Amino acid sequence: MLAYVIRRLLLLIPMIAGMVAVTFALLLIIPGDPASVLLGQEASPDAIASLRAALRLDQPWHVRLLDYYASLLRGDMGRSIFQNAPVADIIAGRLAATIELAVVALLLATAIGLALGVAAAVRQGSLVDTGAMLFAQLGVSMPVYWLGLLLMLAFAVKLGWAPAVGRGEPLAPAIVSTLTGRPAALADALSHIALPAFALAANSAAVISRLVRASMIDVLQEDFVRTAYAKGLRRPRVIWRHALGNALLPVLSIIGLRFGALLGGAVLTETIFAWPGLGQLTVAAIAQRDLPLIQGIALSFALIFAIVNLIVDLLYAAVDPRVRLG
Amino acid sequence: MPMKKTHLALVAAFALAAPFTTAVRAQTAKPVVIGTDVDAGTLDPRLTRDTTAYRTTDLIYAGLVHLTPTLEPKPDLAESWTTPDPKTWIFKLRAGLKFSDGSPLTADDVVFTYTTLLNPSMNAPQRALYTPITSIEAVDAQTVKFTLSAPYAPLLTYLDLGVTPKKLVESGQDIGLKPVGSGPMKLVSWTRGSEIALEANPNYWAGAPKVQRLTLKIIGDNTSRAQAFEAGDLDAIQSPLSPQDIARLAKDQRFGAVVTAGLGVTYLNFNARDPLLAEPKMRKALGMLVDQKTIVDDIYRGVDQVANSVLLPSSWAYSASIKQPDFDVKGAAALFAEMGWKKNKDGILEKDGKKLALTLSTHSEDPNRVQTLEFMQAIFREAGVEAKAQITDWPSFSTNYVQKSQHQIALLGWLNIVDPDRLLFAQLTTGGSTNWGGYSNPAVDAALQEGRSALDQAGRAAAYRKAATILAEELPYYIISDQGYQLFYSRKLPLTVQATPRGNLRGLIGFND
Repeated sequence: MLAYVIRRLLLLIPMIAGMVAVTFALLLIIPGDPASVLLGQEASPDAIASLRAALRLDQPWHVRLLDYYASLLRGDMGRSIFQNAPVADIIAGRLAATIELAVVALLLATAIGLALGVAAAVRQGSLVDTGAMLFAQLGVSMPVYWLGLLLMLAFAVKLGWAPAVGRGEPLAPAIVSTLTGRPAALADALSHIALPAFALAANSAAVISRLVRASMIDVLQEDFVRTAYAKGLRRPRVIWRHALGNALLPVLSIIGLRFGALLGGAVLTETIFAWPGLGQLTVAAIAQRDLPLIQGIALSFALIFAIVNLIVDLLYAAVDPRVRLG
Repeated sequence: MPMKKTHLALVAAFALAAPFTTAVRAQTAKPVVIGTDVDAGTLDPRLTRDTTAYRTTDLIYAGLVHLTPTLEPKPDLAESWTTPDPKTWIFKLRAGLKFSDGSPLTADDVVFTYTTLLNPSMNAPQRALYTPITSIEAVDAQTVKFTLSAPYAPLLTYLDLGVTPKKLVESGQDIGLKPVGSGPMKLVSWTRGSEIALEANPNYWAGAPKVQRLTLKIIGDNTSRAQAFEAGDLDAIQSPLSPQDIARLAKDQRFGAVVTAGLGVTYLNFNARDPLLAEPKMRKALGMLVDQKTIVDDIYRGVDQVANSVLLPSSWAYSASIKQPDFDVKGAAALFAEMGWKKNKDGILEKDGKKLALTLSTHSEDPNRVQTLEFMQAIFREAGVEAKAQITDWPSFSTNYVQKSQHQIALLGWLNIVDPDRLLFAQLTTGGSTNWGGYSNPAVDAALQEGRSALDQAGRAAAYRKAATILAEELPYYIISDQGYQLFYSRKLPLTVQATPRGNLRGLIGFND
């Protein structure tokens, strides 16, 4: 098991090297130049040339790529051109907000997906089933920015139940302070995260509910379910303990993959809800052609995704005795 | 004196509200929250390039002058100034000026600010505006002397640049991240991508502002920002806003509104180097195909105004009698015919077997510009011009296309035109640094030079009108619209709000001109 984890972690090195090269190539292909964005429309060509030299943009591409690899080896992700601060610091300052949003959205998506999927499967063909699958259809097809604006209009502008935008208190410390008897911070954190997390979760909830439904329908027809009933077990126990446990296996790997989709979705959600995370930073960095920052963000997203998938694989082995890692 | 008025108003307000003083205090103690579209890149006033950075540094720092809502320079840190000759400006600083950290502000700090700004290695975005300055020296602790290479009248409007603390910067503090200025407010905290929190600076020469705390909330999406304002999360929002949101907010009784002329233009940049567009008559014919009224009314929903010429209606140089050609499809057809272009069987204009084919280009970030371009494309085609639309993102469009003079007709804009010089000199004089269309006319060159050199406003206005008259005929630029500026604020704000077309925020903390 430990050997497996170490091997997987070592595999990250070629993955990172390849990912950096691909991002670098993409940034070379897209036109536009941070020097001219930085200096604006009024800048003279001389001023732009001088800044390009200062940013080392006048160096050949292979020199710049090798320089970047070398600095990564030293643990340095470079400096943001626009914020004039180390990329690692900027990303570290934003990472918690994105992880918080993605994790809450993932929990929400899993809870909604499981509830709807199970309800639809056990009452196959009923109104509940139709309703749940209609929700799934809507969730899959509705763009996140549109859903976000609708939620904001309904719950912030019309009803005034939640703030329209922004992040409140950080969630994890807020939970801790609730445990120590001060619940105000938690209320603030939850009221801010509710709308963006739901907007972001909708698509994944829909995908998960469809999968749970299909998987449950299969499992409910298995022999061991009939045996469980024959033993005289009650229906809820059969469904929740016996059937769902088995139906969850294919769902688990999808939940891991959904985390990647949530990180991607966070780019739009964070922009709509002014959530100060990596997604919002990505949009700004691309618009400004802040090359070191874009590289750094891509690298962070890739690392998070790889690590989450490793965790899912480990969980899979823990849940399913047939799977052996090594 | 504006300050006296404010003080009188304050005294009167407190006298009237004596029993409610605590309530008023409680209200002003709550921060005023303003929505903004981008995070500041830096809070060093020498390096600002986005509107948030400009508006925030205008609160944290003070310049020699500050600009009133009508763009007149008024004394700020400078008490007075003289011009013994057109190439020398001498500024007298107020006595006892201090930065927000309590350290004294002297002529050395002013010299330091402009010397570093002009140093090419600083890569200051606005450096070009100050290059006529050849030397700047501290005559004594309270007197600064600017020497210019040539008379340069617009300079005074640019001296609202925040003065930076020499000692602190030289000791290694990055004032882009931890700013220290001598303006009405100071930085409390800056959560990147989220908010900038400021509080009153008691060391400001005119005293602390009425608003004790102010927060700028960064909300990138225009509609989200408008909704956050309607939900009560924000006390004020301002341009850029989407026209549909403006219409809705303007009807809402809870909000006060200022909708006025801004300092920007949206225009067509004709590439005069392109063989098809070299002749003024061709540019005129194409200009006649721009339906300004429909663009302004239906796409910009009346937020922008139909433009007449390169002179802004808000400018002292404006003259209503200088007019570019109006929308006139028949007139354009006549001009095409005069130049020998005839419609072929497909309805496309042809000359010597070649079709009249042109590329209209703009950038994708501004949906109104994209719509305008597509609308123009339709009218061009109707009139027999085979128009192709090319829409790319801003860096691709700007850096790699227009700035390399590869465009034919580009739709774009200029902002912050606080002085006519800023829209015309670098853009339309022969060999100007941003003359991307390669336009050249010695008579325009002479008039624009005169506009810089004449130190009296009447002389300057006459020069700019002369240039504008020629430009309205030759059309290297066709100005489609003068941009509007909008500010919406909650009527619950405990102060009289004053807007400036540049979006400065001093009118939202109780300092009015």
